[in-house]
Amino acid sequence: MPFRIRVKNAETGASVEMELENDNTVDEVIESAATFWRKDMGAYVVRRGKKVLRGSTSLTEAGIREDDVLELVPDPEGG
Amino acid sequence: MAGGSSGTRSGFYAGGHVWVPMEEVIRPGAVDDDRLDRSRRVEWLDIDAVIEARVLMAGAGALGNEVAKNLALSGFRDIRIVDMDRIVGSNLNRCMFFNSDDASTRRLKAEVLADRVNTLCGDARATGIVRRVEEIPAEEFDAADIVIGCLDNIAARAYVNAATYAAGKLYVDGGMDGLIGKVMIVRPPNGACLACGMNRSHSRVADVRFSCTGSEVTFHEPRLAAEVTTTSVIGAVIVREAVKHVSGRSDLLLSNLFYYDGSRNRSEELEIEMNPDCAVHRERQATGIRNP
Repeated sequence: MPFRIRVKNAETGASVEMELENDNTVDEVIESAATFWRKDMGAYVVRRGKKVLRGSTSLTEAGIREDDVLELVPDPEGG
Repeated sequence: MAGGSSGTRSGFYAGGHVWVPMEEVIRPGAVDDDRLDRSRRVEWLDIDAVIEARVLMAGAGALGNEVAKNLALSGFRDIRIVDMDRIVGSNLNRCMFFNSDDASTRRLKAEVLADRVNTLCGDARATGIVRRVEEIPAEEFDAADIVIGCLDNIAARAYVNAATYAAGKLYVDGGMDGLIGKVMIVRPPNGACLACGMNRSHSRVADVRFSCTGSEVTFHEPRLAAEVTTTSVIGAVIVREAVKHVSGRSDLLLSNLFYYDGSRNRSEELEIEMNPDCAVHRERQATGIRNP
């Protein structure tokens, strides 16, 4: 059963609705959002509240539900 | 002259074997001669432990410069700095210890940084180690009290993370991109490591950075935005955590990810959970080490 969440772009403040299935993974959310916003090649994570979500987990395992808000955050690589 | 510059205990051996303390001797203005006097006034800061601690720093770029400066001024003396790169002109907008002569002669970052730290603090014993991070021997990790990552790529971070976790030492890793920065604290054997927070996007970036053609390996270094104020913030947080750790105040450490957005000057603490399936924890389990 598909459900919708909102994904925010931490860098711009923009957001987009995303339709997902329970067996979609956090990695897929990251890739879809990064592609949608034409992000540069780089590492990103998704957070819900204060928690950074594990990439390989399914949305069910991560406890993601309808209308949840996730945020796409760049993971800075430089030193 | 009896007494130390700031009034140390002194005495003498009566009959050659019984220590007889003398009264403490003080001298007006002596506290102002002690370069670490103001640090000693921070209640929880154990400056003697800081002076004795050995720090292993991986990376001598922008963050390495800032961290090395903060370490030395905070009282750290035994600083091991690993980097194989040479200084170039584009480093100079954010590397306080490098100058245009260093860039024009392409001097080695680790050597120059160690030299300049030792000049900044005459009693510092910073050592530059010119080699790839992936070639740091395990003994360096074992001998360190704390490991600090000032690296510029995911593969090197993954290596230092794994080696530090195996050595059971605290790892403080910093990263920056333009006005964004982060500091992650890894505290083996408990809690998450860097690999626990990595996902497919990290793997893809690491794969792209390295391209293999026959026996040759080329490293594609991205030209990331970088400016010194973000470096200053992240370098400060890293060294603050190092000071807490060696002062025995691990209860004050970040848990476990500090995230900074300089465009809004906002910072917050995020949480990465331990992932038993990450490369480091999976390897530990495979070798019979139980993850907490």
